[in-house]
Parts: sequence; structure tokens; C-alpha cells
Amino acid sequence: MKNAITIFKKEIKEIIKNKNIWLPILIITIIFSIAMPLGFILGSAPILEDEDTLNFINKVFGQVDDPLRVLIGFILKQLLIFLLIMPAMVPSLIAPASIIMEKENNTLEPLLATPVKTSELLMGKSLTALIPTFAISTINFIILIIVVDISAYIKLGYIPLPNAEWVIVALILSPILSFIITMASVIVSSRSTDIRSAQGVGAVIILPIYLIIGLQLAGLFLLNITYLLIGSLILLIVCPFVLRLAVKIFDRENILTKWKMKA
Amino acid sequence: MITVENLTRKFKDITAVENISFDIDESEIFSFLGPNGAGKTTTIRMLSTLISPDSGKITIDGKDTRSYGEYIREITGLLTESPGMYEKISAYDNLRYYSSFYNIPDNKRKDNIEKYLKMFDLWDRKDDLAGTYSKGMKQKLALSRALIHEPKILLLDEPTAGLDPESAHMVRNFIDSLKKEKTTVFLCTHNLEEASNLSDRVCIIKKKIIRIATLLELQSGDRGKRVEIVFRDDADRYVKLIEGISDIKNIQTDSNKAVLVIENPKITNPTVIKKLVDNGVKIIYFNQIKASLEEIYLDLIKGEEVK
Repeated sequence: MKNAITIFKKEIKEIIKNKNIWLPILIITIIFSIAMPLGFILGSAPILEDEDTLNFINKVFGQVDDPLRVLIGFILKQLLIFLLIMPAMVPSLIAPASIIMEKENNTLEPLLATPVKTSELLMGKSLTALIPTFAISTINFIILIIVVDISAYIKLGYIPLPNAEWVIVALILSPILSFIITMASVIVSSRSTDIRSAQGVGAVIILPIYLIIGLQLAGLFLLNITYLLIGSLILLIVCPFVLRLAVKIFDRENILTKWKMKA
Repeated sequence: MITVENLTRKFKDITAVENISFDIDESEIFSFLGPNGAGKTTTIRMLSTLISPDSGKITIDGKDTRSYGEYIREITGLLTESPGMYEKISAYDNLRYYSSFYNIPDNKRKDNIEKYLKMFDLWDRKDDLAGTYSKGMKQKLALSRALIHEPKILLLDEPTAGLDPESAHMVRNFIDSLKKEKTTVFLCTHNLEEASNLSDRVCIIKKKIIRIATLLELQSGDRGKRVEIVFRDDADRYVKLIEGISDIKNIQTDSNKAVLVIENPKITNPTVIKKLVDNGVKIIYFNQIKASLEEIYLDLIKGEEVK
């Protein structure tokens, strides 16, 4: 464990210096946690003047007394999905950078020649992706709640968050998702020598998230606690498989003989 | 200290090393010489427990590499072919990071970092990012990394590659000095002069072992049976005096110089000298030609190619 923490500390120092990692995170936070909720909630009243919007509300929710409150509730379900963007994006930026930088600098062989265990190396690399992801997701969650509550209070005089759905996403679904993406990024990084292509794993996994947003906007599907718990359970079942594969790939001999290295 | 028995390693259909065996004694400097693709890096990786042999056995400090990988990595230091440093952290932090994986007390670790950075003239730039170092400086930093835990065994893959002559000289002197500290050195090199100056024994390899011997033993081969005589004037005038000696297999002349190939120099050399002196020939010098390691190496490698 001591060696894993040593690896983690060194990696974090390097990541802090790497603006290619923290700059996109900062931009996404500003867009998804501040600008979008502010725009959606504060600008929701004029939308209700549009007949199509009212028809949409009627179609999805039936006849309602307070369409503005229902609309904001619907917006919150979209924002709920945005909570998953950080757990998907951050590990897919950090894990490949951490592994492929080792390949670029030819530092893996001397590192593996030390008494460090490959399990400690994998754990160190995984913590490097998971701990910042958890921290950033939590900060993002708090910012989003504050922004939503303030703007909803200004608009409607009530505080809608946090609710059970948001807590499930923040505390259950997000950590599971970030673990899977970390492991997937480790697996992909072993076969890649290019940071950008390895980081593509995050983009691929984010696609289903956009699909859920699309289905909700089309009025075909609405997230609720049951769906979120089922989703969490399915992802939880996937966890041991990706972990097993990552452990297999993180074998000394595999790293030196089967991993794709820079020429 | 190191025993290698019938070691074979293949990568898919390509055989990297085939059935090689050798022993290295404590505090011996043992050089591994061979062309590119001869299996040198594969062997050094097996010795450092980074990869396993397909068959055969390696014992280091009495322990099998398959079962005691962690122990063996604790007592060995590896200098890889490419120096490989974390470019965005300082040289000092690079050494601190790698050394933290070894079981050495903090004070000792700090002392060793300072000792080796000073020894390799890097102390003044210890806080600079490793990425700003020249190739030679990185190589010296990598050597410091291999030594940081004071290993019993040092595995060096081309230690002077990329170094300027002064630094290379310093590194060679340092490797030589390791003998006094009872460090065993396994040296992979293309630099034949380096191998001949530093090694107790040399192993010439091309997938299989071609020859293991001391430099003296190698030089006493066929190439060692040559004698050079320099006369005061034209050599052709005198060679007829010695042509009749049956042990002389070949004579070649070039102005005042003659090179003789003699089957048994210890017996025949005095006869040759006597015959020439008795006939009043003025000899400037008479010298047994010692083959360079390069000549021996090329002969052995070519011989292997013919096979």
C-alpha cells in the first residue's frame, strides 16, 4: 500500500502541472454546473409561452397545475445526467495520461526493475484517476446543487435539491462508473501509444449518457430511482470483470512484452 | 553470485536466446558482447526478473528468480538501454521516487541521492527538471538511479552510450572501482574497448553463447600466434633466412616489417631470433602481436555466421 501511495503522490504532482488535463475539467464544470443550470432555470418561464413546450409537458406528465415547477423538475432530470459527465470524463483524461507518459519517457522498465509489485503499480495508477474524480465530482455536485437551489429559489421560492435521485447518482452510480472507466482506460492505454486516442474511451462511454438525455428530451423515457438503481447494479456486475482484465494486463512480463510501446 | 543454466527464451516463433549457461562470481565484471538482436537485452531482462525464461534456470545470490523476484529486485540495480526519466519532475525527485521502493532508511536514501548526484556532477542541477537534461546527463542520472540502493549486483545495458568521452571515462573508472566494494557487474556493451578494459571475463553471444573467456585466453587463440619483426632495412632481404623453419606457417612482408604466423611461438621465437642474429641481421624490435578484442570478436561472430 505504501508503494501505491508513493506512486499516487508522484502522479498527482505531475497531473497538477498538466493543463491538458485540468483545463477541460474546469471548462466542463463552468458549462455544465454553472452556466447551463442557470440558463435553464432562470430562462424557463419564457419557454412556457411556447405552445410546443406546453404540449410536450402535457404529453409526458399529463395535465399539471404548475407547468413551470414541472418544467424545472424535468430540467433537473437532464442536469442529473450531467452529474455523470465528470465521473466519465476525468478518469478517461487522467489514467491514459498517467500510463502513456510512462511509455513516452521509457520509465516503465526501470520502475518494474524495483521491488514494486504490479498490483501496487495498478493501485497507484487507479488511485491517481479515482481520487481526483471523486473530489471533482463531489465539488461539481455541490456547485450544481447550490446553483440550482439559488436559481430555483429566485424563480419559484423553493429549494428542490438534493433529492433521492441526485444522491443515488452522486454516491452510488458515479463512483461505480468512474471505477469502470478507470479500468477501461488502463486496458486501452496498454494497447495505445497516443494519449489522445486512449482518452477516446471516455468519449465512447459518454455516448450512452447523451442517449439518455436524448430519450428524455424526446419524452420516451424518464429517469427515476428504480432505473438508477438497476443501472448501478448492472455497472456493479461489470466491475469485477474489468478489474480482472486490468490486473491481467498489469503483469510485469505483459507490460514489457505485449504492451504497445513507442518505437 | 549468478548462475544461469540452459536458458531459452522465445518470442512467438523467434528465439531470442537458446540454451545459454554461465556463472558469474561475486565482484566479477562480466561483459556480454554481441551484435544487435543477439539476445543481450532479453538476458538482462531475465536476470532482473522482468521476464521469465521459457526453460532453464537463473539463480542469483542462491535464490531462483522465478520464486524470489522481489528479493532479487531488491539486491540488483538495472541500468536500462534507454535512461528513461520522468521529464516533468526534478532529477532529485526522480531519484527520491525510485529509491522509495527499496527497503532503505530515509537518512541513508538522502545521503545516497546526494552522494551519487555529486559523484556524477549533477548536484548543482538537482532541482532542474529531468527533461531539461542532456542525453549524457540523463544517462548519469539513470546510473545514479541504478546505484541508489547500493545493490550487490549491477546490471548495465550500454552504460556509456551517449556519454561524452570525459563522462564515459568517469563511468568506466566508477565501474572498475565497484570491484573494491564487492559489487558484481553484468555489462552489456557494444564498446569492445570498454569490455576489454573493464571485464574479468567476456561472453560473446549470438542467440547462443559463442565463447566465454578472459581477454588473455581469447588473445591466446590463433590470432595470438603472430609475431612482428621490424628490421633496420628491407625485410625481404632477411625472410629467406627463416623461411626454412618448419613451424613458421606464413610470412608477409611490408618494407622493413615482417609478420610471421608461428604454430608454437614459445619454442620457435628463440630459434627465429638466434638465426637472424647469427647471420648479423639488425633487428629493431621483435614483438608478439596481441589480437584486439575487436579482431577476436569479429572472427568469432563471422565464424558463427559461416556455421
